[in-house]
Amino acid sequence: MSFDILFNQFMSGIARASLLFLVASGLSLTFGVLRVLNFAHGSLYMLGAFVTYSIWKGLLIPVVGFYIATFLAALVMGGIGIIIEFFLLRRLYARGWPEQLLVTYALVLIITDLVKLGWGGEFLSIPRPVPFKGAVSLFGFPFPSYNFFVILLGLALVIFLWWLVYRTRIGDIIRAAAHDREMVAALGIPIPWLFTWIFVLGAMIAGLSGGVAGPYGAIALGMDIEIIVECFAVVVIGGMGSLPGTLLGSFIVGQVYAFGIMFKPELALAFIFMVMAAVLIIRPWGIFGRPER
Amino acid sequence: MVIQKMEQNESMVKRGWWLILLLAGAIIAPHVISDFYLVILIEALIMSLFALSFNLLFGYMGQLSFGQAAFYGLGGYTVAMLITKVNFNFWLSLLAGVGVAGFVGLIVGFFCVRLRGIYFAVLTLAFGQLLFVIIYKWHDFTGGDDGIQGVFPPGILKIPIVYYYFVLLVFIASAFILWRIVNSPFGHTLKAMRENPERTEFLGIHIARYQLITFVIAAAFAGLAGALWVPFYRSVAPFYLMWIKSGEPVMAAILGGASTFFGPVLGMFIMTFIHAYILGFTHFWPIIMGTIILIIIFALPGGILEFAKVKLKERQERMKSAKGSP
Repeated sequence: MSFDILFNQFMSGIARASLLFLVASGLSLTFGVLRVLNFAHGSLYMLGAFVTYSIWKGLLIPVVGFYIATFLAALVMGGIGIIIEFFLLRRLYARGWPEQLLVTYALVLIITDLVKLGWGGEFLSIPRPVPFKGAVSLFGFPFPSYNFFVILLGLALVIFLWWLVYRTRIGDIIRAAAHDREMVAALGIPIPWLFTWIFVLGAMIAGLSGGVAGPYGAIALGMDIEIIVECFAVVVIGGMGSLPGTLLGSFIVGQVYAFGIMFKPELALAFIFMVMAAVLIIRPWGIFGRPER
Repeated sequence: MVIQKMEQNESMVKRGWWLILLLAGAIIAPHVISDFYLVILIEALIMSLFALSFNLLFGYMGQLSFGQAAFYGLGGYTVAMLITKVNFNFWLSLLAGVGVAGFVGLIVGFFCVRLRGIYFAVLTLAFGQLLFVIIYKWHDFTGGDDGIQGVFPPGILKIPIVYYYFVLLVFIASAFILWRIVNSPFGHTLKAMRENPERTEFLGIHIARYQLITFVIAAAFAGLAGALWVPFYRSVAPFYLMWIKSGEPVMAAILGGASTFFGPVLGMFIMTFIHAYILGFTHFWPIIMGTIILIIIFALPGGILEFAKVKLKERQERMKSAKGSP
């Protein structure tokens, strides 16, 4: 096998890893701070994709229409995030995590049907936006230039989240709250509001990545479950609630998928889970994870 | 501890009469209800067995598995493939379904019992999805997304009412075995591990080994449920293994009450009958199921049986204090 094929596969793995990071980072952030594993994160991503489609279709603005639609969809998802956190999750923090998990599972079911009701069961697609319409040649192989946009956006999100978590006062509070909630509350910081905004941020990231996923693949029912299961693999490999872990996990899963598909397409997903099992034997809490207390 | 034991014995005596009543009802039921509800009743019984297997992990071991459907599906697939591909004996196929589910449960459980809480839930989910993906994509061997059709039970078991009595028998036997397990020293050790893993470990109990055994038992009973379901519906499909399916016993346990033995059964019966009723006029079942989950969690914390228990206790105490005061 020649180098150029491998490099091409590597690059498509990077693009996939980037999209995975976009989605998984929101999941990981929410888990890290709220200690709530949001099953419905993939559903927010799917809803984001459908909302982006509708706004894009309604706006009919050439060139920038898609970008505006994605941005607006992220805001809409943020609004839905407020509703979910404020009316559902907030009332469950005192109860056990199984109830929280089940509530987000209920949301998966509800959002699936809402999407079915609102948009029908058809496949929708958004054409790749300017200036990422065509393909560039990588060692003679065509590589969709939109993938570069996804990669760049992933990098931008890495930098933004790193800045937010490690370089701001909010970030100090986030890290402290992830470590010891009571102590942070005792210092007079309103934990409930912090939780709301973190959840909203996670939901907005989900919406944004859903919008970005539109031109990357197809917009269809079932994309929620497809992505959330891969995201679980990402956070389990990297360590739940860890930002560097999510980044590394996305990279691993993206690459394993890209090379797995070349090797044996029908088992590409199975390879991901095998890698996950291997990581878990060595480090049950993921590469960057902490043992639960 | 002793008092608790006495209370338990007392409640067991009390429980005796309604168990007999339920059993009598279950025997008469197929002669009273319509064919449609007979089918639903069979579904409810099989799914209840599935829910009981799940609750062995959730209610007694204290770990939430979100991958239980994988074992259910494996049991079903084993039966379907043995019967359609090699024309294997039906009864041995059922046993093989249990065996395969239990064996895969041993491998998966080996990894999963190292983790607890939410990590356990995610890992079981991931392994469940792995098994789902393998069956879904391995078209040549499993039929992929087409599933397998034409899985017929032998002879008179093709008649729904006969199959009903067969399922009832298996259900009662399984429920009895599970009941004995959770009330044996083994079961008490499980509960001790749930309440205080560290202290239990100090007592010299190998937690991982106990949990692995429990995991395998739960997987085997889930496999039995799947193995019963598939010949009844004559077909199997990959979505039987999916995590959405795994959510059903979770929901049944929370709905009926995970802290009681029969809570998940009650939950599953309610769910199955609501499902059958609702499918009569809409196919938007998930949204209704989701809404029911939200209502239960917010309105009935602890589930229906737990709620009833608390209410009953309150009433008894009221009556006691009413008697006490002149």
